[in-house]
Amino acid sequence: MEEIREQVQEVFREVFEDSTLLLNAQMTAEDVEGWDSLAHINLIIAIEKRLKVKFATAEISRLKEDGANVGSMLELVARKRKLSQ
Amino acid sequence: MSVASLQFVAALLLLSAVFFYLPGSQWRQGLLAVCNAAFLYLLIPNGASWVALGLFLLSGYAVAWLLRKWPSHMLLSAYLVALVAAFLIMRKYEFVTANLPDSIAAHAVSIVGLSYMLFRQVHFLVDAIQGQIERLSLWAYVNYQLNLFTLLSGPIQRYQDFYDRWKELGPVLEDGHAVRRAHFRLLIGLIKLAFIAAFFMSLYQRSAQALIQADGGASALGQYAAIGHFLGVLYFYPIYLYLNFSGYCDIVIAGALLVGMKLPENFDKPYLARNVIDFWTRFHRTLGFWIRDYLFLPLYKGIAERWPRRADSLAFLCYFVAFFIAGVWHGPTANFVVYGLLQAIGVSAAKIWERHLLKRHGRAGLRQYLQSSRVRAVAIAGTLHFEFISILFFPADIPTVVQMLRTAFRAVA
Repeated sequence: MEEIREQVQEVFREVFEDSTLLLNAQMTAEDVEGWDSLAHINLIIAIEKRLKVKFATAEISRLKEDGANVGSMLELVARKRKLSQ
Repeated sequence: MSVASLQFVAALLLLSAVFFYLPGSQWRQGLLAVCNAAFLYLLIPNGASWVALGLFLLSGYAVAWLLRKWPSHMLLSAYLVALVAAFLIMRKYEFVTANLPDSIAAHAVSIVGLSYMLFRQVHFLVDAIQGQIERLSLWAYVNYQLNLFTLLSGPIQRYQDFYDRWKELGPVLEDGHAVRRAHFRLLIGLIKLAFIAAFFMSLYQRSAQALIQADGGASALGQYAAIGHFLGVLYFYPIYLYLNFSGYCDIVIAGALLVGMKLPENFDKPYLARNVIDFWTRFHRTLGFWIRDYLFLPLYKGIAERWPRRADSLAFLCYFVAFFIAGVWHGPTANFVVYGLLQAIGVSAAKIWERHLLKRHGRAGLRQYLQSSRVRAVAIAGTLHFEFISILFFPADIPTVVQMLRTAFRAVA
C-alpha cells in the first residue's frame, strides 16, 4: 500500500504542479487546490497510465463524491492491481 | 395522474400506512410493483405505446446481460445508436421525422418519462459493460425504470442505489419524528407545486402575453409597461421552474422515503451558484452529474488520452457537445438547442475566467479572489441573470423569445 501511495503522490504532484504535496488517506478534493472535475479526470488518466489500472465511469465519479477521500482512491487502486495480478 | 393531485397523495399515504405491515421484502416489492404498473397504466394511452415501451426496456436489459457476459464496445455502440434513433423517432424530433415516411413519422407511440428512461438505460448499459452492476435482475431493472417516484421526471437515480434499497425494502426513517418530517416535506412540496409555482406561472403568462401582443413595438404597451413585463418574463418563469420542479422532487423524495426508498437530492440552492459550472451541481443536480459522467467524462477522457497536450483546449469542445446533447434531450424543438448552447457558453466562460485568474494571480491570488464576499455577490448575481436569460428559451420558441427581447430593447432604447 505504501508503494501505491508514493506512486499516486507523484502523480498528484505532477497533475497539480505542486512538488510539496503530501498525500494522506483523509485528504479530499477540498484539500487540494485545483482539484475540480476537469483536474479529476486528468488525475485519473495519469493514475491509470502510471499504475496500469483502468477505472470505470461510475468509479471515477464516486472518487470525487462527498465522503470519498484519497484513502478510498488508494484502496480502489490496490484492489484493481491485486485483481490484475 | 399528477403527483400534485389529492388522489396521488391519498394513495401514497395509504400505501405508506400499510407498507411495513407486509411480511418481508418480497411482498413489499410486489405491492410496489403493482403500484408502479397501476401508475403507468394511467399514463400509457394505447397498445402501440405498450409494445414500444416493452421493446425499449427489454432490449436494454438483454443487451446489458450480454455485455456483462461478453463485454463488446461494438455491441454497446451499435445498440446505443439504435436506442437513440428509436428515442428520436418516438419523441418525434422534426429533423428525424421530416426524413421518414408518413406512416412511421405519424406514429401513435407516446411514452411518459421516455427521456429519463433513456438516460437511465444508457447509465445501466455503460455500467454493465464496465462491471459496475453487481447483480442483474430483470424484476429489479423493470421496477427501477418504471419506479413511480422517478418515472415522470428527475431525480435521475443510479441503478446501484436503487437496487441497494430494493433488495431489502425496509424502513429508512428511524423514528416517528423522521416520518413526520417526511410528511411535512410532502406538504411543502404540494404547496410549492400546486399553489406558489402555479401563481408565478400565471404571472409569467400575463407578462409574456402582454409582450407578445405588443408585436415588436413597445409603443403599443408604453415604455415602462414593456420593461415591467419583460422583467416579469425574465424573473417569474425561473422562479416558477424552481418551485415547480423542486416541489415535485420534495413530493417524490419524501414519498419514496415513506416506502423505504432513498432518492438522491436534486437541488441545492441553485440560484446562489457563483458560476454556470457551480449551477449544474445545484440545479437538477442528478442531470448535471449524469451529463458529467456519461457525456463529458468519456468524451474528454478519450480526447485527453489521445491528445494530452491539446486536452485543455479541447475540453471546450466537450462542453459544447455535452450541453448540445443535453439541450436536445430536453425537447424536440430548436429553443432547447439554444438553451443547451448557452449553458456550454456559460460553462466555458467560467473555465476561461478561472484559468485567466490562475495565470495572472497564481493559486494564492485565485484563493483570495474566491474568498472575497464582494466578488461572490457579483458572481452570484451575474450567474443568476445569465441563467434567467437562458431559461427564457425554455417555455417559448425562438421567434417568440426574439420578439419579447426586441420589444424590451425598444422600450429601453
